[in-house]
Amino acid sequence: MLLVVIALGFSMAIMICIPAGIVANQEATQNLSENYESMISDMQEEINETSTLIECRTSSRQGRFAGMPSGMPKGLPSFGFGQEVFVNETVVDEIRSIEGVKDVVPFLEVSSEETTSETMDTPRGSFTISRPLYTISGVCLNSSFIDSYSILPTNITAGAPLHEGDSGVLLISSNLSDYFGVEVGDKVESYGEYFTVVGIYEPAGQGTSGTRQVYMSISDTQIITGNTGNSSRLDVYAEDVSDVDGIAEVIEAAYPSELHVTTYEDRLANLENMQEMYQTTLENSESTLSQTQTTAFQEIVIAIGATSLIVLFTMLYTVRERTKEIGVLKAIGFSNWSVMSQFMVEGMLMSLMAAVVGVVIGIVGAPILSSLLLPHVSLFPTQGERQFGQWGEATNLGIFQSESTAIALDPQTLLLAFGAAVLLGALGSLYPAWKASRTSPMEALRYE
Amino acid sequence: MSELVLKTERLDKVFELGKQKIRALSDVNLQVKKGDFISIMGPSGSGKTTLLNMLGCLDRPTLGKVILDGVDVTNVPEKNLYKIRKHKVGFIFQTFNLMPYLSAIENVELPMEGTRKSKDEKRKRAHELLNTVGLSGREKHSPTRLSAGEQQRVAIARALANNPAIVLADEPTGNLDKKTKYEIIRLLGKLNINQGTTVIMVTHDSHIATHSEKMLFLSDGKLLAKEKKGTLATEKMLKCPHCGQKLPEDAEYCLHCGRKL
Repeated sequence: MLLVVIALGFSMAIMICIPAGIVANQEATQNLSENYESMISDMQEEINETSTLIECRTSSRQGRFAGMPSGMPKGLPSFGFGQEVFVNETVVDEIRSIEGVKDVVPFLEVSSEETTSETMDTPRGSFTISRPLYTISGVCLNSSFIDSYSILPTNITAGAPLHEGDSGVLLISSNLSDYFGVEVGDKVESYGEYFTVVGIYEPAGQGTSGTRQVYMSISDTQIITGNTGNSSRLDVYAEDVSDVDGIAEVIEAAYPSELHVTTYEDRLANLENMQEMYQTTLENSESTLSQTQTTAFQEIVIAIGATSLIVLFTMLYTVRERTKEIGVLKAIGFSNWSVMSQFMVEGMLMSLMAAVVGVVIGIVGAPILSSLLLPHVSLFPTQGERQFGQWGEATNLGIFQSESTAIALDPQTLLLAFGAAVLLGALGSLYPAWKASRTSPMEALRYE
Repeated sequence: MSELVLKTERLDKVFELGKQKIRALSDVNLQVKKGDFISIMGPSGSGKTTLLNMLGCLDRPTLGKVILDGVDVTNVPEKNLYKIRKHKVGFIFQTFNLMPYLSAIENVELPMEGTRKSKDEKRKRAHELLNTVGLSGREKHSPTRLSAGEQQRVAIARALANNPAIVLADEPTGNLDKKTKYEIIRLLGKLNINQGTTVIMVTHDSHIATHSEKMLFLSDGKLLAKEKKGTLATEKMLKCPHCGQKLPEDAEYCLHCGRKL
């Protein structure tokens, strides 16, 4: 009897775990798709706002969509890989003198000296990469630039933003301040110099693995890294959208090797590219989901079948075992119906007991069971993560990390499980109970 | 003067075993008056149990009628037969057949399931019955903790639960030792006298049978013409000097004619 209950419990556990696993899976896909959408729309907005922006980066920074070999961890997080190339102030002046150029905002983006090791888990195995702990963005703190262009993070959570003329201070991303354990007013060392934290901002996107970054005055950055007069990126703003193409051509012609130019259109094309890839990723995970659902459906059918059969055979055995008892009950005046209901109740009680066992097994063994039974779970392609990892400040790796398929046994699932148990118990004991009720009392009494 | 509680008319029962037909009962005419204590004797295979099953509505005759408490049970449809078994008949078996997972009192309450009695009434009635069979104080005991004789007493109490018109006992002493046998037969006799319970007992033990009032003999499915008078097992049996009816040993007035003894 105990063994039967445990065996039943197992098939109950399967029935409980599979739907829960499916729900978790669905939620993960849903999350993924929502994240994609919000990210794409954020980017779209940003691109639209900066239609006059021509982004000029020194050559080491490109390759966002430059056909990286898939499956290789190369170029994962971007900053600081490869040699760092800079342009000097004369370039800034020359570009500023091009006709139609309104402003040129120089940046100096360098990697921190400290590095950090991270282990990435992918379906192809895990690997450890070492990358700079954070990025230093030296920003030209000119109040008209700060006011007109979004060159500094805006969502400050503590302290104050940077102002014109600030020196020896920095704005730190919240994930980095957490890492250092610093607050507004504390000092942070970078390249041997101490900087006071004036503000903490929330990096764009969700998750904890958003870019760790500090913002400071460009002149401070130039001094601490020994790059006086140098910039790594120039944001060139045109007077009018119609000037953009002409200016871009001039810059590209003048500095073919030093600067890589992206315009509004390039960025839009990139975005479309990205959208396409997201779409593929989503479709993949959706097809995975439907595949999983098919498997799950088959498994549930099998589990239901097994449960009913176990109840059926156990109850048949019980009825046989207790034939004489049935005879006595009928002889002392029990109706067919009351004999039948007695065995039905017994079958339902048995499967309720099994449901309790099943829930316990389910809670303890849900992750193992669902990974055993649903082999397709957590197959969200990770290739996309790597390739999308470089879209300037807006990039956020976090959202692409596959959501865990944790199984939540909420009261609703439990109620459903107990309901199913009673139903299957009734179903499985229907025939044995009917058989018991039809037993001839005379023959049953003779049975030994 | 006493009314008939049970009457059979030309009762026939034929069993078909493959092609072979076995006539287990043929032309059995039986009349049982209220308050009778009858034992039916006969060798193995003479049809005793078959007859008892027929009387207890566990089986249907091939031919003939069984009229129980004025009702022709051969006409009652199968699905309503349980009501007759519940209210008109009490069964006592050779092997007691108590439910091992129920206590003594729960076993006695079992036939009252599905009757209109409340829980308290059932409990009270079961207590009374266990007291009658001499088992007060043993209510909570499981049948496995009772001796064979005690188990049969519980079974007798169970048979009486719904105040049946007749009590059918199939070899009630067959599984008991000599001493206990007489205790049980005496108990049945006492119930018969004190409460007027009608008892029909099947046995092949002639010693036991002599303790009933009337002995009938069954042979090859036929009820033999000869009847024998027995002596009731209660040692000091009283008879009313006025009307001749049997009386409980402690009676001061006749229960039948009301005159002082």
